[in-house]
Amino acid sequence: MSRRSAGLLLVPGIALLAFGFVFPVCAMLLAPPEGDAAGVAGRLGGMLTDGYVLSIALRTVRIGLITMLASLLLGFPVAYAISRAPARRAGVLLALSTFPLLLSTVVRTYSWLVILGRNGLLSGVLTGLGITAHPPQLLYTETAIVLGLVQLFTPLMILSCYGSLSQVDSRLEEAARGLGASSGRAFRLVVLPMALPGVAVGSTLVFAGAVTAFTTPMLLGGTRQRTLATLLYDYASVSLDWTSASAVAVFMTMIVLAVGVLTGRVGASRLGARRARKVPPATAGAAGEGAV
Amino acid sequence: MRRRPLLTALCALAYLFMLGPILLVVAVAFSGGDTIHFPPEGLSLKWFGKALSQHSFTSALGTSVLVATGATLLALLVGVPLALAVQRGRLPGRRVIEALCLSPIVVPELVVGLALYQQLMVGLRVTALGTLMIGHAVLLIPYAVRVTGASLAMADPMLEEAARGLGAGPVTAFFRVTLPVLAPGILSAGLLSFITSFNNVPLSLLLTGPGTTTLPVEMLHYVEFSFDPVVAAVSTLLLALTVAVAVVTERLIGFNKVFGR
Amino acid sequence: MVNPVELDGVTREFGGVTAVQDLDLTVPEGKFTALLGPSGCGKTTTLRMIAGYLAPTRGRILLDGAEATRLPPERRNLGMVFQSYALFPHLTVAKNVAFGLRMRKAGREETRRRVGEALELVGLSHLAERRPRELSGGQQQRVALARAIVIRPSVLLLDEPLSNLDARLRVQMRQELLNVQRETGVTAVLVTHDQDEALELADLMVILRDGRLEQLGHPRDVFPAPASRFVAEFLGYENFLTVPGHGPVTIRPEYVRVLAAGEEPPGGTLLSGTAARVTYRGTDCLVAVRAGDQTVLGTTAAEIRPGDEVRVLLPGDRLIHLPENAPVPATAGDTR
Repeated sequence: MSRRSAGLLLVPGIALLAFGFVFPVCAMLLAPPEGDAAGVAGRLGGMLTDGYVLSIALRTVRIGLITMLASLLLGFPVAYAISRAPARRAGVLLALSTFPLLLSTVVRTYSWLVILGRNGLLSGVLTGLGITAHPPQLLYTETAIVLGLVQLFTPLMILSCYGSLSQVDSRLEEAARGLGASSGRAFRLVVLPMALPGVAVGSTLVFAGAVTAFTTPMLLGGTRQRTLATLLYDYASVSLDWTSASAVAVFMTMIVLAVGVLTGRVGASRLGARRARKVPPATAGAAGEGAV
Repeated sequence: MRRRPLLTALCALAYLFMLGPILLVVAVAFSGGDTIHFPPEGLSLKWFGKALSQHSFTSALGTSVLVATGATLLALLVGVPLALAVQRGRLPGRRVIEALCLSPIVVPELVVGLALYQQLMVGLRVTALGTLMIGHAVLLIPYAVRVTGASLAMADPMLEEAARGLGAGPVTAFFRVTLPVLAPGILSAGLLSFITSFNNVPLSLLLTGPGTTTLPVEMLHYVEFSFDPVVAAVSTLLLALTVAVAVVTERLIGFNKVFGR
Repeated sequence: MVNPVELDGVTREFGGVTAVQDLDLTVPEGKFTALLGPSGCGKTTTLRMIAGYLAPTRGRILLDGAEATRLPPERRNLGMVFQSYALFPHLTVAKNVAFGLRMRKAGREETRRRVGEALELVGLSHLAERRPRELSGGQQQRVALARAIVIRPSVLLLDEPLSNLDARLRVQMRQELLNVQRETGVTAVLVTHDQDEALELADLMVILRDGRLEQLGHPRDVFPAPASRFVAEFLGYENFLTVPGHGPVTIRPEYVRVLAAGEEPPGGTLLSGTAARVTYRGTDCLVAVRAGDQTVLGTTAAEIRPGDEVRVLLPGDRLIHLPENAPVPATAGDTR
């Protein structure tokens, strides 16, 4: 393919990206429509000293971290089990963990309303067993948000970890044991280091996804437990304060980018970023965004 | 293989956590009561009837299908050439172009949605449907580029040369060899794109309004104000549809090939 | 007679690197020509320029006497067999073979007949409806060959076609390749880094070094008379010596006799030294002899142990003189 024809192939795609992404995002940040004197940067500066916004940012990051850890704890064993299962069973298990990613976030989050709601499964069980006559408030708590997000993102963590683990030859573990390592030590010294790139990618994706998630905090946190995403929505569609909405948008994007750069560094210094990047090309991005 | 009871228990817990709640939704959908309640009060199909007869849901479904189809086609139409140029073009600054193609993933969708709302809908007066399609297409470009790029990377770059050597001009070689070889990859990208667009909430959220709303956004708003099990019925229908898509995909190209890898 | 391929001062540069420099080459009709050299010598670049996948930076390419320097590959009527075979994965074997005929708008009946003949020639008629991925490496190789010759190309181009096969199959496929070439009488150009392959197949051996022609000729002429140390090393010579009265020479170990103490020399140049290493080879022993500051490999039937004082006999008529870095006279039988 000549360079010229390759260049021509780029034109429609670049044009669409420019018109539908680069232009609006840049314009929003640089030129707030109402001609607000403070501008987005000024408003952002104000927010960084505003206790209310900061507490929401802190909560958002806290939720992101807990979600990341919890889905790692749940997801890593599953990824490991899949990577060591015989091909047929591994296929079924993999499909079962991928399937939820195809389902709408609204549907998956709705299920937690069924469980945590006033007359939901959990309060039904609690009152039915006579533990308490007045079940505590379960919905619209930080715990509810975390539960919903962990359910949302565990499949993504499984796929990322599996991407690395499936490349670890099971004979390596056997070799380590043959050299005198206990199965625990073989796992720690051989499997874990090789799985790290996948863990790093998965953790980044889950953290970024959890920090920017909207549907779940909206339905399970409501107005009582705001996150940056629901705050942005409030500014944009309830109070119609676009400058503030843009400022929150910048704030949110910066958190995500900072973490991406940070783990990118860590991943690169460990075992090479090449393998980390190789982790599920389709799913890494796919699920990451689809799940939000 | 050695048995590892702890590992098995952990896995069972994880799968229960991931899949169990979804099954509860199905149970609620068949309930006869007026609110979400456990155990469900009686058995009935009335919520399905209500879901299917409610205009706001059916019209939102129409919009969703329209937007997802349009955005997927648009994304493939520009994304496949992008992948070709990036993979085969030996272009200077290839990394930069690749980064640009993948950049919509980096910015939170809610932010992109806000930007599109401000600049395209309010600023340039693009219609809601048009903005939705453009926004979704932009969001899908990274998938199209990455998935087709992956299958392009696996294909032998000599294939086109072989076709040329056998007498095919560049255009014939593309349609007779390159495109058919890429077809499974493009199909995968298309399926993934359609589902992603169809399920999207954060990007659509600020771009929808009365008259033009997508199904997930409509469901979200409904749940905000009403606690009856209609949404459970809609969810169950969507679940059934997704299972059907998954089964058909498995038959055609292999489920894990498309969604898992 | 018009030559199928002529390169006239062809040069190809990549960025600042010269891959092929000022190459003149005439490929004789109906013969097997092998471009030989280590990786990076420019042999594949040369083949890709002949095929039309690369344009020369300078120089001209003539095909059947006609100017073809800028002709696109699809208008050259050459058959190419790729190292990776490059079979179309979405087409059956028969449709792979038929591809070139379809591009030439051959009739349905003619296509069927010629595809049948080509598959028969490579012995794959029974696999016509299979897909490439269902075939073994050797079978894929044969399909690639059938696909290239079915269009009756003016030249068959082979880019390291056997390098992906295991050792035994490679040797067997060499003969099949030769049979097909002899049977069809097609002019063939082979690129290879395997000197045995070139020796066995080629009528004309073209040895390239750093993008320049190093030596060319029939294997029977080139092998016993390498024109430089580079060629000699590439052809597997191991002794590189400076012999009093002869200068820099090379000689095959088989011709070097190692004499135990007391053995009578029949005449020739003699070097004295110490046996450093002795390898038993069944019919004889290979002995590495330290003679002064050089090591000589030779053979012996006598009982020699490491450390023995020995003499080495170098028959004068077997010594090949190597002009150190002298320019190569590029003339041989059927080339200009």
